[in-house]
Amino acid sequence: MNTIANIAFRNLSRQKKRTILLGSAIAFGVMIVTLINGFAGAFSSNVSENFSNLMAGHIFISGTEKGPNDKDMSVIRNDSSLTAAVEASGAPTKYITRRSAFSGTLIFEGKKIRTNVDGAQLDKETFLRERLLLKDGSWDAMADETALILSEKIAAKLNADVGDTILVQMQTVNGQNNVGEFTLAGISFDAGIFGANLSYVNELLGLAPDEYQTMGIMLDGLKNTEVSASEIYARLNESGVQLFERGVKDETGAETPFQALLRKQNKESWEGVKYRLFTINEMLSQIKQIVAALDTTAAIILVVLFVIIMVGITNTFSMVMFERIGEIGTMRALGVQRGGVRSMFLYEAVFLALGGAIAGIILALIVMLGISMINFGMDSPAFLIMKNGHMSFYLPPLKAVGNVIIIALLTLVAVSSPAGKAAKLTPAEALRTQK
Amino acid sequence: MKRLIAATILAIAAAGSAAFAQDLPKILSTLDAQSDFTGKDFAAVYTIVSQKPGEKDTVSQVRMFRRDAKKQFAMLVVLPEVNKGQGYLREDDNVWFYDPTSRKFSFSSIKENIQNSEAKNSDLTRKSILDDYEVVGSKEGTVGKIAVWIIDLKARTNEVSYDRSVLYIRKDKTMLLKQEDYSVSGRLMRTMLFPKYVELEGRLMPSQILIIDELNLGERSQLTLTEQSLAILPDKVFTKAFLEQVNK
Repeated sequence: MNTIANIAFRNLSRQKKRTILLGSAIAFGVMIVTLINGFAGAFSSNVSENFSNLMAGHIFISGTEKGPNDKDMSVIRNDSSLTAAVEASGAPTKYITRRSAFSGTLIFEGKKIRTNVDGAQLDKETFLRERLLLKDGSWDAMADETALILSEKIAAKLNADVGDTILVQMQTVNGQNNVGEFTLAGISFDAGIFGANLSYVNELLGLAPDEYQTMGIMLDGLKNTEVSASEIYARLNESGVQLFERGVKDETGAETPFQALLRKQNKESWEGVKYRLFTINEMLSQIKQIVAALDTTAAIILVVLFVIIMVGITNTFSMVMFERIGEIGTMRALGVQRGGVRSMFLYEAVFLALGGAIAGIILALIVMLGISMINFGMDSPAFLIMKNGHMSFYLPPLKAVGNVIIIALLTLVAVSSPAGKAAKLTPAEALRTQK
Repeated sequence: MKRLIAATILAIAAAGSAAFAQDLPKILSTLDAQSDFTGKDFAAVYTIVSQKPGEKDTVSQVRMFRRDAKKQFAMLVVLPEVNKGQGYLREDDNVWFYDPTSRKFSFSSIKENIQNSEAKNSDLTRKSILDDYEVVGSKEGTVGKIAVWIIDLKARTNEVSYDRSVLYIRKDKTMLLKQEDYSVSGRLMRTMLFPKYVELEGRLMPSQILIIDELNLGERSQLTLTEQSLAILPDKVFTKAFLEQVNK
């Protein structure tokens, strides 16, 4: 068998140009598929981690109170039960954030833009200083209660500079019109949604200074999110606070679990504050659909490319068989069995597929490395799918091995017909055939 | 002698002020009555011309049907053509928005602006100043050359869009000439002027309203009322089916 394999290998190296062309076709197909797989592999975790950073948490607890006329009011008035539940859960918590937010219109000298403004406890969320890079202004200026940090893009749209007074038109938690006056303290590179001091945001929303709307629990990594969320939810249940059911699923599949939770909340009625616990994964569950779509696309590309390549391989090996017909006759005359001839062709196909696939994966890895070294910056519109401004890839090893096996099998299928024809030739017939 | 004159003037002013204070509820209830069509139905066409700096003026038109006794209204968008068929329906404290494209109703609010103008749904509905606001200050003044009472109001509840309003009411004939609406933080957000009134079955109602956005300078909307009627409307007008039907 080794001899047959050696002959097959020698045959491939005898026709270098043909082998390189066929191998390149396979390598190209594998490279494209590997790149898509690698992108999809990192897409989900990158988006989730970026959102976690933007929203300062992997797990969130928000409170809702029913106001007059059954109007929902987002507020957490006393969080002692919540913090106790987080501690008791044993979740690997890096830090806990307390934030209030509103959607309002920023107005500056005739220009306006609608945006979200998040209020954070800056004395406690010290990590923000390291994470949110300022292009202009300073963090020290945030000591002013009405200070505001805007992203570079929003500041440019308003044509506002550090020190300018910006009006914000928004609504209180009760839906009443309100106007705030912010002083632009900093302009950040980050397209994040963080903006102001919690105390002032609370004042504008009509909340007390010690109240807030959402507690964010940042864990040591995305992987612990679901287990920790279940633990915290169980501890909250034990403490007796009013809780919305978790993991409500929409039967039609048109909503994320988070949207389904909000819809359910609108239909219910209760007294006091009722809490809902949700995770970054629930909010971004549609990302899984995007990843699945990317993987399906990769699989379709793999099939289409290899149907084309298979036609080429079948055709090439048919020609190879015809070229080597005398050689096959000689081998058969010297005692090589039909199986040996078939194996020789099949070995050639496997070597070609493996060589091409491995080269394709190596090429893909080089391209990934090259792309991941480019810094697109945090202000890139695609920053959410990147890791610290760089494109990142993750190729699950099993997926790579699976692709190689699929390609080897497809190549074997493509070669099986010419290999069968070659094996069926009798020595005399083969030696008699004129090329 | 001088002291006597000064004391007399002060006494007259104090008496006038006391009388004015006593009259305040009556003035406000007259204003409430002007916008209250309880016992009748009200229909009118509102044409809203909105101006924004650097943009072309936009014209919106809505046909409004009101039944104040049941806190109901149905509002149909006539213009712009692209939004034709959209509608709002109010039943008690619930407001729904109808989108003819998706043929779906969604929750809306009385506090929502009409067709990207400065006017809110609540501006076109019945108001009860006495129920919603309390008087925190009052004085006399002028709007142009017309003598007015200036009444400062603070919201009793957070159900109203504006926490504070200042009304400028004509003295000789109880008519609201000007209204200033303030945010919770106390900043002037918009000024409404009521330059034209019509008399409808013995009651005065503004036929033209100018709303000036005090935050976004240069932005203003002018509302003109036409085809006002107090005729009884069929019950079906105040149903979701009506909004759906008019689009068929």
